[in-house]
Amino acid sequence: MSKIQFEYFAPETIEETVALLQAHGEGCHVMAGGTDLLVKIQHRVTHPKVLVGLGKIKELKRISFSLKSGLTIGAMASLADVAAHPKIKKHFPSVAHAAASTANVQVRNKGTVVGNICNASPSADNIPTLLVLGSRVNIAGPDGETRMPLADFFLGPGISALKPGQFVTSLNVPVPETHTGTAYLSLSQRGQLDCSAVGVAAMVVMDKNKCKDARIAVGACAPIPMRTTAAEKMLIGKPLTHKAIEAAAVRASKETKPITDVRASAAYRWKMVAVLTIRALIEAQKNARKQ
Amino acid sequence: MEDNTIIGKDIPRTDGRVKATGEAIYTDDIKLPGMLHGKLLRSPVAHARIVNIDVRKARALPGVKCIITGADTPKIKFGNWRLFPATQDEFPLAVDRVRFIGDEVAAVAAIDRETAREALELIKVEYEELPAVFDVDSATAKGAPVLHENSPSNISIDRKIQYGDIEKGFAESDYMHEDVFTVHAVSHAYLEPCSSVAQADIDGRITLWTSTQTPYIVQCLLAATLGLRENDVRVIKPYVGGGFGGKMELRPWEFCAAFMARKTGRPVKFTLTREEELACGRRRHAMKLHSKVGFKKDGTLVAKDLKILLDGGAYNSMGPTATFLCGNFGAMLYRYPNYRFFGQHVYTNKPPAGAMRGFGAPQSLFAAETQMNIAAKELGIDPIDIRIKNAMVTGDEIPDVATISSCGFIESLEEVAKMCDWKKKRKNLKNGKGLGVGCYSFISGGVFNWFNTQYPFSSAEIRAFADGTVHLLTMASDIGQGSDTALKQILAEELGLKMADIRLTAADTAMTPQADLGTWGSRVTLMAGNAVIDAARKIKEQLFGAVSAKFNLNVIFDMECRDGRVHAAGKPDRGMSFGDAVAFVQKTNRGEPLVARGSYTPRGKGLVSPAFSFGAQVAEVDVDKETGNVKVNKMWTAHDCGTVLNHMAVEGQLEGSIQMGLGYALSEQFVMDNGRTLNTTFLDYKMPHAMDMPPGESACIETYEPEGPMGAKEAGEGLASPTAPAIAEAVFHATGYRCKDLPITPEKILKGLGKLED
Repeated sequence: MSKIQFEYFAPETIEETVALLQAHGEGCHVMAGGTDLLVKIQHRVTHPKVLVGLGKIKELKRISFSLKSGLTIGAMASLADVAAHPKIKKHFPSVAHAAASTANVQVRNKGTVVGNICNASPSADNIPTLLVLGSRVNIAGPDGETRMPLADFFLGPGISALKPGQFVTSLNVPVPETHTGTAYLSLSQRGQLDCSAVGVAAMVVMDKNKCKDARIAVGACAPIPMRTTAAEKMLIGKPLTHKAIEAAAVRASKETKPITDVRASAAYRWKMVAVLTIRALIEAQKNARKQ
Repeated sequence: MEDNTIIGKDIPRTDGRVKATGEAIYTDDIKLPGMLHGKLLRSPVAHARIVNIDVRKARALPGVKCIITGADTPKIKFGNWRLFPATQDEFPLAVDRVRFIGDEVAAVAAIDRETAREALELIKVEYEELPAVFDVDSATAKGAPVLHENSPSNISIDRKIQYGDIEKGFAESDYMHEDVFTVHAVSHAYLEPCSSVAQADIDGRITLWTSTQTPYIVQCLLAATLGLRENDVRVIKPYVGGGFGGKMELRPWEFCAAFMARKTGRPVKFTLTREEELACGRRRHAMKLHSKVGFKKDGTLVAKDLKILLDGGAYNSMGPTATFLCGNFGAMLYRYPNYRFFGQHVYTNKPPAGAMRGFGAPQSLFAAETQMNIAAKELGIDPIDIRIKNAMVTGDEIPDVATISSCGFIESLEEVAKMCDWKKKRKNLKNGKGLGVGCYSFISGGVFNWFNTQYPFSSAEIRAFADGTVHLLTMASDIGQGSDTALKQILAEELGLKMADIRLTAADTAMTPQADLGTWGSRVTLMAGNAVIDAARKIKEQLFGAVSAKFNLNVIFDMECRDGRVHAAGKPDRGMSFGDAVAFVQKTNRGEPLVARGSYTPRGKGLVSPAFSFGAQVAEVDVDKETGNVKVNKMWTAHDCGTVLNHMAVEGQLEGSIQMGLGYALSEQFVMDNGRTLNTTFLDYKMPHAMDMPPGESACIETYEPEGPMGAKEAGEGLASPTAPAIAEAVFHATGYRCKDLPITPEKILKGLGKLED
């Protein structure tokens, strides 16, 4: 445990950033809001040699929306910006809601949605909703821009699929079909302001009473935030009856691999995935009808 | 008391602005020229013999100025129970043995914190691990490893209270109930982590600025452990960001700062991290309580037999007091004609438990109040009615222990029932909602002199000036509870001055009058308040005599200080301004300053406390029977704290108590693994946030406490007790799950309802 010492760079372009990441290799960390990274450094969990701050790259602050290309959230757009953005509130209420209910005012003013994703924490509250919406991450790197489904981005707790020299420039959320509803529910031992012990997001696309498409994502119940695809398949193409929802929820629970830790026991988490999946599907179905 | 101009009014706290703006100077804000930064090396193992400590590499690190281990120190044990030296079981730095993960082994002082921290890594300690015990059952089992050489078993202290005839009582009972309760440890979680700065003068005398509740106790114990005289140590208490009982002893870093300041000739500062506080800091006692109660069919209490094992952790700390007080609180609130208590304080290889808000009451009353609720249910009597039937009243006595000189308990129960529309609401709640009641009684300071001081328990000095101002000097310690404001109010009322006319110097052991035992047991308002009144009355004596002579008043006239004047009672023109009166007294005394000392020491009030407060609280909850989540919808409180000196201040204490009670009941706990605390940040130590606070309503039942200043008594700690039993009963009312094992977690509720397997 040596002294905290690192070099700090504040590049102004994406190209410069990639060059810095390549030049410094391992031990070089990208910093967006820093609300997680700086704490990890202070706690000696992370020992960076070089920090590359993205704050001076103007285009990364941008949030844009069109019906064709969907919603794009830049890597430096704060949680507060996302929570308050009128277009996001209108077209992606669940994305705005997830950002608005992350941490507290101070963290939301500094922290970013993309940063929350890149931490690759299994319990991150923004991720399940973004997963069910079929989001993609835009990645810059030595070989230029690439795009990756968010579902492929997580490899383990704190581990993402980013290769050396790469960093996430933005997040893209496609515009959902009409009659789509989403919902996210989470549990923690303390009420309003807490790290979730279990979180479940659901999305359904309804065609009258029939479920045209369904997606379920679970947080904090596996090494990564995960989709429960077997449970989803049980619903697709079928009427969304309470019985069907219950059966899918039990299935979703079986797909997860929770552990016992300081926040909850594995047995409780298993049980709660089923409870929350039922509730999230019912709420998503309700939200779909509103459209 | 409508006549009062300041008492009973909503006077804003005198320290409110500087704290809100960040101007207030706390210990860690203090920076002295040449100051070094200290860090503590703590034991990574729960129980071990220290074979060897090698500090050579650390000492060679550039920037390191001083490293000490137990071997460098005078090896003098300390502990707050100075009256019984055998209870003093702690060395400032470990000598030969460590007894919990976090036990202090060595200290480093370096030019900055980072260097000190780096040096810790370079100290090599060789441990020979010993078998360890982590709960009261294994610590008291036959053949258990014993933690302390001079204690034959891990039971370090026991206490008994007994009156009436317990066997006869149970024989006469129509209904009996016996339960085992377990309650958990929680953190004080004060917002200001512990911090101390020490400076040695040219003669080696120490000045210590420290975040403490008890400057006088720190002064005495620090002097003793350093081998100095008490007067060689000066302790100054800057602003303190909360204590809740966790800062009322001498702490190893206070010793290390002073010892290393003497050694290096440079000031030394230690500030703990939040992780250190949560991993190794003092905590509330976990306990196992075995309680049997007997009632008549009509709900009349006949007997109670209470046995408690306190999980004390590795050292006695404030455990002896907690052990005694548990038994006292077990006998409070209701009339128990036959009562027996046996408490045992048990060593375990965990961070020591100390005093914490309520000091034995939250644990003891959780058991007592839950049993009242069980009995009410099983006897078919309303929970509030059964309490009123057995409630203590003014004049009641606990034989040889306490006399209740004022008591508004029945009124509190009646009022809280009215506020929440108890009977109607309890019958008509929807599925998943529940309503429950819990009550408390608490002390206004302790009587028993375990510290063995030769001084008065509280003292005050007042210096009066010809410009119409006064200077109040006291060792009473405001740690955030607002006692500076309360003492100024009492003095302003007594002398007829404005708050702004009073300068206050508090808690500097070299400058303020000896002594004050500090802030604990809700003693400050009553004891220091009485000392202030005593001093103020001596000032008034002199002023009254002089003014009476000057105006040639008939000696039968009463005199008063009011609105900045000293005059014949009801005749403001027959007198002069306060300042002129002071000048006049000084002139009659040929220049002597007008100064008076006052003091208070409780006498003839039993063993426990000069006065007791009472109250009742109702909680309404919503329980999600699928997830086990509990939401507290509302809290109603009615309590008797004697004369209310300042409504806003009482309200603040009430809200803080509910916040702490909420955490104790529902979310806070240490997750432990073989003596190691796993949740050492506020992310995973689940203290409720401001946003988790339920709305509430409260009422103060005003009684007049003859022993209290202007009739006042405790308002700060007692309310930490009723919240957990009230919520537990509400959860039972909502779901049928009866919690006897705090905290009430979602998983326990689901298991209780048969929805989750063990």
